[in-house]
Amino acid sequence: MDENSMNEIEQLTQERPELAALARESLDAIEAAGTPAELEETRVRLLGKKGSIAAVFKGLGSLPPEEKRTLGQIGNALRTLAESELTARAARLKDAETKERLLREATDVTLPGRRLPQGHDHLLARVIDDVTDIFVSLGYKVVAGPEVELDFYNFEALNTPPHHPARSLQDTLYVRRSDPVSDDPKDILLRTHTSPVQVRVMESERPPLYVISPGKAYRKDEIDATHSPVFHQVEGFAVSEDITMGDLKGTLEVFARKLFGEERAVRFRPHFFPFTEPSAEVDVSCFVCAGGGCSLCKGVGWLEIMGCGMIDPAVFSHVGYDPEKYTGFAFGGGVERIAMLKYGVDDMRVFFENDMRFLRQF
Amino acid sequence: MRISIEWLKEYIDIEMTAEELADALSMSGTAVDRVHTLGGGISGVVVADVREVKPHPNADTLSIVVVDDGETVREIVCGAPNVRAGMKYPFAREGARLPAVSSKPLKKAKIRGVESAGMLLSAAELGISEDHTGILELAGDAEVGADVHQALPLEDIVLELEITPNRPDCMSVVGVAREVSALTGAPLRLPSVELDESGPPVDTLARVILEDPQGCPRYTARAVMGVKTGPSPAWMQRRLTAAGLRPISNVVDVTNYVLLELGQPLHAFDLDLLAERTIIVRRAARGEPMRTLDGVDRQLDEATLVITDPSGPVAVAGIIGGEDSEVTESSANILIESAHFDPTSILLTSKRLGIRTEASARFERGVDPGGTAFAAARAARLMNELAGGQVASGEIDAYPEEIKPRTLELRPSRANKVLGTDLGAGEMAGILQSLGARVEAGEALTVTVPTFRPDLEREIDLVEEVARINGFDRIPETVPQGGGLAAGLTPQQRLEKKMLAGLTAQGLSQAVTYSFMNPADLDLLGLADDDKRRRVVTLLNPLAETGEGMRTTLLPGMLRVAGGNINRGSKDLALFEAGRAFISQGEEVLPVEIDTVALLLAGDLHPQHWSGRQTACDFFDLKGIVENLADVLGITVLEFGRASEEFLVPMSAAVLSAGNEYAGYIGQLHPRVASAFDLEGDIYCGELLAAPLLAAANESVYSPVGRFPNVKVDVAAVVDEAADAIEVERVIRRSGGDTLKSVRLFDVYRGPQVAQGKKSLAYALEFGSASGTLTDEQAHRRLDAVIASLQKELGASIRGREREGEAR
Repeated sequence: MDENSMNEIEQLTQERPELAALARESLDAIEAAGTPAELEETRVRLLGKKGSIAAVFKGLGSLPPEEKRTLGQIGNALRTLAESELTARAARLKDAETKERLLREATDVTLPGRRLPQGHDHLLARVIDDVTDIFVSLGYKVVAGPEVELDFYNFEALNTPPHHPARSLQDTLYVRRSDPVSDDPKDILLRTHTSPVQVRVMESERPPLYVISPGKAYRKDEIDATHSPVFHQVEGFAVSEDITMGDLKGTLEVFARKLFGEERAVRFRPHFFPFTEPSAEVDVSCFVCAGGGCSLCKGVGWLEIMGCGMIDPAVFSHVGYDPEKYTGFAFGGGVERIAMLKYGVDDMRVFFENDMRFLRQF
Repeated sequence: MRISIEWLKEYIDIEMTAEELADALSMSGTAVDRVHTLGGGISGVVVADVREVKPHPNADTLSIVVVDDGETVREIVCGAPNVRAGMKYPFAREGARLPAVSSKPLKKAKIRGVESAGMLLSAAELGISEDHTGILELAGDAEVGADVHQALPLEDIVLELEITPNRPDCMSVVGVAREVSALTGAPLRLPSVELDESGPPVDTLARVILEDPQGCPRYTARAVMGVKTGPSPAWMQRRLTAAGLRPISNVVDVTNYVLLELGQPLHAFDLDLLAERTIIVRRAARGEPMRTLDGVDRQLDEATLVITDPSGPVAVAGIIGGEDSEVTESSANILIESAHFDPTSILLTSKRLGIRTEASARFERGVDPGGTAFAAARAARLMNELAGGQVASGEIDAYPEEIKPRTLELRPSRANKVLGTDLGAGEMAGILQSLGARVEAGEALTVTVPTFRPDLEREIDLVEEVARINGFDRIPETVPQGGGLAAGLTPQQRLEKKMLAGLTAQGLSQAVTYSFMNPADLDLLGLADDDKRRRVVTLLNPLAETGEGMRTTLLPGMLRVAGGNINRGSKDLALFEAGRAFISQGEEVLPVEIDTVALLLAGDLHPQHWSGRQTACDFFDLKGIVENLADVLGITVLEFGRASEEFLVPMSAAVLSAGNEYAGYIGQLHPRVASAFDLEGDIYCGELLAAPLLAAANESVYSPVGRFPNVKVDVAAVVDEAADAIEVERVIRRSGGDTLKSVRLFDVYRGPQVAQGKKSLAYALEFGSASGTLTDEQAHRRLDAVIASLQKELGASIRGREREGEAR
């Protein structure tokens, strides 16, 4: 309540107790209005043309000047007081109403939100992206190659001897030709690895080369938990005048730690591949036991993730590079294997079944 | 290859634990797949003598055996087929501990009604091999009653090694010992070949004629006369079983033992069964018959190298012996063959015959041509030692052209350049010498490579040896500089990523399927005979379950993914696959590989929510996805026309073109095709070709946003039912002029308010100008022009023209 207006009124109405009562009644009426409609009624009753405060001004003109002034003052003070009290009451009522309405409209914040449909990357695509991104950040470019390939690119130029078991009909899927010749470089087959891209790129470009090439590869494997006739590999290679095996080790160590975690240890075990020499298999320390030995790593403490090596001079000779001038390294790994290790997938078939319950997880 | 550490230690001192040894071998290229601990925790097992074998009263396959274990003589029940009176076997007394059988002590048992206290043991029950076929025969000199550990070193660790195809030399115990020697510096001790050649000169006993020196560059033979066959001693049996071979008899076991010891496969002939005691090495005649040791009658061909006597083949060279000259219990005079065969010839023959043996596995990788005489002498010595008789003096060594050790150069600078190391020439020389090479120093090292290392042919092979033995872990790690400007994704590749991200952003999940297809799927789709997608790349040797061709369309694979999901209860599907389709260009050339994105919608596109109802997806959901994709890629020239794909519902199918190039199709799957693929309900599908879409993509371009509000007007044109909406829109755009900023179709109406055979298309148009607010009058003048064109060009009648906000 406006204390000043009330004090003023009390002083002014010492001689006129009926007006002091009117002031008190007005305030009580305003306070008693419980809704905006009631408040409006009260306003009309007080300040309307026929209202009780308006009545104070009635017949003012016929009074002597002294009285006229006093009564005018009282009237104005009453009006001001009523107006300000009406406004304040209206605001209080509105607040109360809003409060009540919001309470009525309360949201159950535990109900599910409304979501736009969300698509999911295939896990294999995600792993390919992760691997590719790491190498792109190391200065590699991405090159794709054909999946149906010539024997020359898949075997011959990669230094695979004739009669090598990998070339047999038991291991490799061949395209039907009317006049097939065994171990013929002109044979057409489904590439058994992504390495032919090495040869294709080197054939058409000159060093320095830094290339990463993800894609599908094929082998004549019956489908089971750990075999699939279609699988994915990521191939990578670098060729320049001064590439060393130390570069290979450093590169793959950076890669493995970026992909599997900074705390991973990496080791290189000598191995044999026809198209690299020296050759190695790359292991990372087991994610589960960190080297102590567990069921994931079969007690070894290490997980094999890819094969690699220094590009064999014979491969350079096939593409017309001088092996005395250029050196290079190459590496390749199975995308499914990396996905299985990293995400604990224990059956390769789930990648190709495309069950929505699987797809939605990534 | 299974290597017993107990055996390995005969040739080299090993200070390391088995785990350390396994690690050292793995880290130098001989991967250790598994470590087996043999014979640990055995107690209560003694050498026992079998006195008598009687039939079991209640079972044909069991016997009652009278056993003397040195303390008592008792009867037990035995099921082994090879139990014989007078032989010695390991015997587990009651209470014996046999970890390979059970964690509990052995108890008395009643077997088919007969009490049996104790059992005779197989090698498997002792935990020293997987051989369950019979009980383990012990040597005749084993002391009855002695603990089995005295008769046989049972406790051993066996390393299961993965030998890479370039290392035939490591397929032997001595070969692995040499690796260990190179790694640790401990000296290698070769086994003894000292002989007491008391027999007659060998060339008076046998003759070897080498008719095919290409297939068989060297044939060495020795003879041991008057041997007495019998079981080999327990130590040899144990080593053979630990390596995974089954002991047979002293004479045969010696050949297998030397094969494992030195990696040189040997064959023992009964000299008396060889016609004219003559060996002829030649190619078989076409159709020449022979019964091999596995009991199979075979027809040979001219490519097969055979060991024959004058009456016919006695062995397929390097692979398997023949039955006719097999060493038996009655054999007395033995001819030991120790030959070198051409690896490729052995590989092809073994593949053709479908036989792989311990011998062929070694010959096909390349056995040491310089080692045949040593191996023959070693076998003669062991045979003499174990089976008595006399070793004939001298050897037969048919070796028309000596295979000389290779000499290579190794430039230390080259090795360091390849490896990124700073090794000295002396260190390199030391490593190569430890592997058996002879090294002369000089500017480059001159390295004479031992003949047991056929894999060392070039300088790079020596570089690898240096790196391997020095340790890959000692090569310092560096990172090369990378491709610089040439690195990173091409604009095309960035767009490709954008395209796929644009699909997942719209709620589609990515599938990955096999690239195969059954050509019969094309019949299910109903493709015309001359359809390009009928040009299938077919496989020569397909897998039965995956189809015999490469897919020419991604659709069948997508439909199967949808079917599988629907069967598993996921009925709301929004899927895409990015993969290749393969179109044959003739069988002598590579096919065209087309990067394709397949799309599929089924059920409801939006996940069901408590606040509202679901709506089944339809053609326009799919089209909207493609239109958004075009927006993401900045394609302004994508057009949808009517498609005539046999597998789509005829009037709900669109063909896409991007800048006049075919870019794919979308539509509703024809119910006939849906049921052919066992699908129920409406399926919307499509295939987009990546190349034309990416080619039509544009970088986003900035155009200033007008500062003045646009004037919005609606207009509804009534046109023939057959008219395409795109035609109406084209007319509006063309006639609207520069100030027409946007055209949006907001309603399609058919019903009582328009004539039969007509439809009303209502458009919201926005007119605007960069230079000021258009007046109503200006906007309506433009609208009048639009209406005039619609009437004139399409015969449209106008149903209404309204300012936005006015009552309609």
